[in-house]
Amino acid sequence: MPEISQLPEVTISDCAAAVTASFADAFAELDGWRNELAGGETSVRPTDLDAHVEGLVIPALTGASPLFVGAGFIAAPGYVHGRDIHFAWWLGPQAGNPLLGSSSAATRLDFAARAYTDYVRDFRTLEWYQVPQSTNQTHVTGPYVDRLCTCEYIFTLTMPVRIGEGTPMLGVVGADISVRRLESIVLPLFLAADRPLALVNAVDRVVISTDPTVQVGQLASHSGDSVACSGLPFRVLVGPDRLPRF
Amino acid sequence: MEAHNRPGAREAIFAQLVDAGRTEQVTIRLTDAIILGVLAPDERLPSESDLARRFGVALITVREGLAVLRDAGLVETRRGRGGGSFVMKADAPHSTLVQARLHGLAQVDLSDMAVHFATIVEGCAQRAALRASEPDSDRLDLWLRGADFATVAGARTNAGGFYLELAVLSQSARLVRELIRLQAEFGPLLLLGMTDARARRSLLASNQAIAGAVRANDAAAARQFATEQVRSLAEWLLNAKARVERGGAWDA
Repeated sequence: MPEISQLPEVTISDCAAAVTASFADAFAELDGWRNELAGGETSVRPTDLDAHVEGLVIPALTGASPLFVGAGFIAAPGYVHGRDIHFAWWLGPQAGNPLLGSSSAATRLDFAARAYTDYVRDFRTLEWYQVPQSTNQTHVTGPYVDRLCTCEYIFTLTMPVRIGEGTPMLGVVGADISVRRLESIVLPLFLAADRPLALVNAVDRVVISTDPTVQVGQLASHSGDSVACSGLPFRVLVGPDRLPRF
Repeated sequence: MEAHNRPGAREAIFAQLVDAGRTEQVTIRLTDAIILGVLAPDERLPSESDLARRFGVALITVREGLAVLRDAGLVETRRGRGGGSFVMKADAPHSTLVQARLHGLAQVDLSDMAVHFATIVEGCAQRAALRASEPDSDRLDLWLRGADFATVAGARTNAGGFYLELAVLSQSARLVRELIRLQAEFGPLLLLGMTDARARRSLLASNQAIAGAVRANDAAAARQFATEQVRSLAEWLLNAKARVERGGAWDA
């Protein structure tokens, strides 16, 4: 093995940093929405809120290469006049979606439809709502197959919205980002590293891998080095173990 | 060691898309859902334009399909604010329509649909067991504990819901999509036997066994339980078909 190389080496830390950087645009977008929505009111009319959220999220869902596949705001109970539950959520254009068909424009998700009622009833216990509420931090849920909307393998990013520190949460701003998009940004760098790598989430589920025996969606087992991705519940495993189960 | 290319996989790419008889497909899909109890009386269907988008058909096709359902007394159209197409409350269960539906389907097709459905559900269960994390297993258990399998309507809804949970745990978007399509086509028929209290109890026990195998990461057991579950549902369906063909009632 050559000890010294003239080529610039891609380190594991570079890969971890690239993953963090690839989420920066998304977090900046959510942060902007959060500031817009934390307008000082402790309660809001549904039509006003919907119009406000729609104006914010549509640009991020449409266009040539949209950042998100879905985005919106989920209100805390009581924030929207007379409503225990209020979802203001839009989806980007869909092609051949088995649930929603195809559409060339962004569409609002109708959470009043029966298929969603069970899901919506328990939303306060769901990871993407509960974690930002209890930690007051941005959270990344997933990857998981979104069976309710896009039927794609996605992450859900959520950020708590509060008027000020210590005040009750008004809700969460959120966005869905596809695993495919993250891969297109960081896989080339992962492939340039001199050892096999796998990006995993907090339960060691594989998101991106440069070892074909360790595939996306599997749970990795690992005994070697790893580098955390700053600000994300992810880390990069170096030389992930071949998996005993597939 | 034979290495020549067989035509199957290549030709399948260009296989005909489902196109013929679209009005009939819309009619069958909605009729099954109504007579087999997946859509409840007084439930409002999505708007005509929404149905057209979801089914991927023209608006006129949806209108024709709804007209057939109206003539059959399965839906009614209400005008004005809050209007739309609503599932009619049946005076009696739709037994005659269920009889006709079972009579109209060949045994060979019912068996074949069950094979297709079983293959997908087995794959979902197997992959779910391989890929579920501990929090995933906790959520699956919680879901199952909260799901009603005691009533007919509950069992029909939640049987399909459990398959979907397994598909999600497989981490495969394709399996989720395929399962949704198959359930739309065959789910209501396959769950015909949920009128039978013993079948409901047995389905719940089977789901608990699958969830246990998922938690234990025992893929072979999860797969086996799924095989047995779909086989037992298919047997109920084929028995009902045989009763109809002998001139009896499907749920006798």
